[in-house]
Amino acid sequence: MALLEVHNLSIAYRTKRGLLQAVDNVSFSLEQGRSLGLVGESGCGKTTIGMALMGLLPRNGRVTGGGITLAGRDLLALTRQQWRELRWREIAMIFQAAMNALNPVQRVGEQIAEAILTHNPQMPRAQALSQVEGLYQLVGLPLERLRDYPHQYSGGMKQRAVIAMALACNPKVIVADEPTTALDVIVQDQILQETKSLQKEFNIGIIFISHDISIVAEVCHHIGIMYAGQMVETGSVAEVFSQARHPYTRALLGSFPALGGARRRLSPIAGEPPRLIGQLPGCRFCARCPVSGHSCKLEPPQWRQFSDSHFVLCDHCE
Amino acid sequence: MTTNSEPITTAAAPPRRSPWRDRLAENWHIFSRNPLGLAGLILLSIFAAMALLSFVPPMIDPMYHPMTGVDPLVLHSVGPSARHWLGTDFMGRDILSQLLAGTRVAFMVGVSAAFMSIVLGVSIGMVAGYAGGIVDTLLMRLAEIIMVLPTLLVVLMLSALFGKLDIWTIVLLIALFRWPGVSRVIRAQTLSLKSRPFIDAARVAGASHTRIVFRHIMPNVLPLAFLYMTFRVTAAIIIEAALAFLGFGDPSTVSWGMMLQWVWKTGHMFQAPYWLFPPGLCISLLTLSFYLLGRAMDEVLDPRLREENGTV
Amino acid sequence: MARYVIGRLGQIVVILFLIVTILFVLFRLAPGDPISRMVDPSLSPEEAANLIAQLGLDKPIGQQYLQYLKNFVAGNFGYSFHYGLPVWQVIMAKLPNTILLFSTAMVLSALVGISWGKIAAWKKGRGTDILLTVAALVTHTLFLPWLALIFIWVFGYKLGWLPINGMISAEVWLDPTSGLWDKALDVLYHMVLPMITLFIMHFGSYLLVMRSSMLQTLREDYIITARAKGLSERAIRNHHAAPNAWLPVITSVGLSLAFSINGGALTETVFSWPGIGRELVLAVSQNDYPLAQASFLLIAMVVLFANLVVDVLYAYFDPRIRY
Repeated sequence: MALLEVHNLSIAYRTKRGLLQAVDNVSFSLEQGRSLGLVGESGCGKTTIGMALMGLLPRNGRVTGGGITLAGRDLLALTRQQWRELRWREIAMIFQAAMNALNPVQRVGEQIAEAILTHNPQMPRAQALSQVEGLYQLVGLPLERLRDYPHQYSGGMKQRAVIAMALACNPKVIVADEPTTALDVIVQDQILQETKSLQKEFNIGIIFISHDISIVAEVCHHIGIMYAGQMVETGSVAEVFSQARHPYTRALLGSFPALGGARRRLSPIAGEPPRLIGQLPGCRFCARCPVSGHSCKLEPPQWRQFSDSHFVLCDHCE
Repeated sequence: MTTNSEPITTAAAPPRRSPWRDRLAENWHIFSRNPLGLAGLILLSIFAAMALLSFVPPMIDPMYHPMTGVDPLVLHSVGPSARHWLGTDFMGRDILSQLLAGTRVAFMVGVSAAFMSIVLGVSIGMVAGYAGGIVDTLLMRLAEIIMVLPTLLVVLMLSALFGKLDIWTIVLLIALFRWPGVSRVIRAQTLSLKSRPFIDAARVAGASHTRIVFRHIMPNVLPLAFLYMTFRVTAAIIIEAALAFLGFGDPSTVSWGMMLQWVWKTGHMFQAPYWLFPPGLCISLLTLSFYLLGRAMDEVLDPRLREENGTV
Repeated sequence: MARYVIGRLGQIVVILFLIVTILFVLFRLAPGDPISRMVDPSLSPEEAANLIAQLGLDKPIGQQYLQYLKNFVAGNFGYSFHYGLPVWQVIMAKLPNTILLFSTAMVLSALVGISWGKIAAWKKGRGTDILLTVAALVTHTLFLPWLALIFIWVFGYKLGWLPINGMISAEVWLDPTSGLWDKALDVLYHMVLPMITLFIMHFGSYLLVMRSSMLQTLREDYIITARAKGLSERAIRNHHAAPNAWLPVITSVGLSLAFSINGGALTETVFSWPGIGRELVLAVSQNDYPLAQASFLLIAMVVLFANLVVDVLYAYFDPRIRY
């Protein structure tokens, strides 16, 4: 049994215009020490999945179907108290540091120690702080910056602090939501490499959420491509990169420059994803799809299997 | 403030339904869902009606004149009766007529002082924001100094020097001391507008500074100015009422503050609750209604303040 | 920090100098004879001549101004007509009473306003929130003197529970057997109504500012971080949301200080609290210009210093600001 199992997960938001089906029937699983990248445009539901894994859906959001199990435990059945105990200890999150993920009026070291102390109430404060020192060394932050405030850190340092924070309670799974988006390319690369080596060292499962398929390819073992709330293609990095089947995946690969890869013309995808309110018969991508046929608009596409791990949700790929 | 490109697009857009009407309708829709704002509007309408009605009693009988009308049958304060619905004051004048006349005075003081302070505040704010540099520094320093002065006590001090002030001088003084808050907001708004492309476009097209300020910047800061006006009305009414209450009001007009002063100073406050309650209640409710209106308008203008009903 | 404070103190000196100068000019412009405004007609001729010399009123205008500035620095504002005492002595005797009443009331309203605003934001849209918000809106716009009169009418007259004016009762203070404790209790007893009046007028604005600031803070990403870390809702509210939310409240305290001082003067006047605000109002009514001028300047000074304190506090609580 996999460490994290997401099974036919559907999530909806109540909005003024009606029920918005942000995530529709998404399944994936994650083994210990492996990493899965969820890739898609903004609004495709990848962050919603991340929040659902943490039990942090906004008030108007609700899981409408399917299930999540972590190490055999049904997460959707947890009470608030159980969630509180599980968060960070079992499953932690790396936020995008540029997004104000650190409290501006609290010292960075304290914020990390707070996570440790919350889950180990008996631990003396000094011990928690010395653990934070260990974490700082781990992520390559100078110890003398422990007592600084977030605004005194550079973007890269903040991101490292956020990573250190995620490691604070030795979680089994870490959800990383666009962790390097606002950083410059060099820092971005350093942080990705460190994340990778930390993952290996501590044997953590990582769900890596990004809109940038080239970044995901660099850190992850598996990739799930998401479009308009659905998973449309999933497979190992090699499979998805070299044998992309879904037209959307191909379009995505065409619209990103690979880090250090050959220069190519970028081909942005014309059009916009559909609004996810009300009934959506047929394939959701067909309006933007270069190969769609008549049946795509009417019939929902079926999953096709190409290898043990490579699945594609499209009727027109061969 | 979604109208950053309005001056350009309105010229170029094909004639369709008036965008102003659409905007107004939409804004009214947002406003009408705010119960407190509606309550403010209703209260305000009642007071407006009272202000209009204030002309009626003196026409019925001269004894209902708020200042000079004395009931020949009562020469002291009596409670409510059919003849005097709210009773009479210490010399037999009708309290209801005074209350109605006071409404008119309160509106006049509030609206005109607020209007003047907004005109001052908007002009100074726009000039400071647009000119920048030393002009900006000097004007904003001045604003800071004036802002920390307690207006009521300043006006009090001036009446110590110049004797009792008439109502228009009081209005003018309130305006002179209440502009800094507005000008700071307008300045910030001007600064952000100044860096928008349509201002550059106008400048490149050869528009003069005056033209840019009045044709391009002003229309964009006016909604905000209007909002601040409702808050300034509140401040002006309170200051005038407090001044009159302390005995430094214009002796030739009846205001609510003055009515309170009379009931307090003539030692009637324990015997005449019918006289003590109405004027203060009116001041409080009128300022409340302007305040509620302002808050509701604030919500219309600033989408961040709106209750989000769960959009993703 | 020290440099910032010194810089701000310099600024305060400049502002005070400006205010003093403007007062001097206005005093000259005002109708009537300056000497009769400053010198009590009931003084003997020698005393009057002495005072005129001291205030420089017999000198040409330029020298008079210099003398005036010198007197201001030395705290020499002439004699009060009403008390027949040096003005400085009069206002210095009143200042502690004002500070006692005003600062107690302000601290109380700020603490209560902030904690209720926190609760209102936390319970947004529910009964508690609606109740607190409406209460804040309504009390915030009450006309203060009226509220004070109503309190006097209800608690002093109808119910007879509390004293309605002054700061002390003669029978307690003249009684040789009453100790310090009795006297303190007596003052506290007199302070209840004016303090509640000021409190009711002020907690609302702090509540509203805190509530909206808190609502904005609760939307920040670090709140999600805190929740993800497994913190209890209580810890999130008190350790992460509130410390960020009340920074804007500190600023609003500074901005509304002038408004509060107006309220303080009105409260003192209605309750006959022997403070400096009431002294100013009385001095203006009694044409006691020397006293009015000095009270006004002292109040201006207090406001300026209080603003400085507010700014320093802000810098202290917000690590992003370092001078």
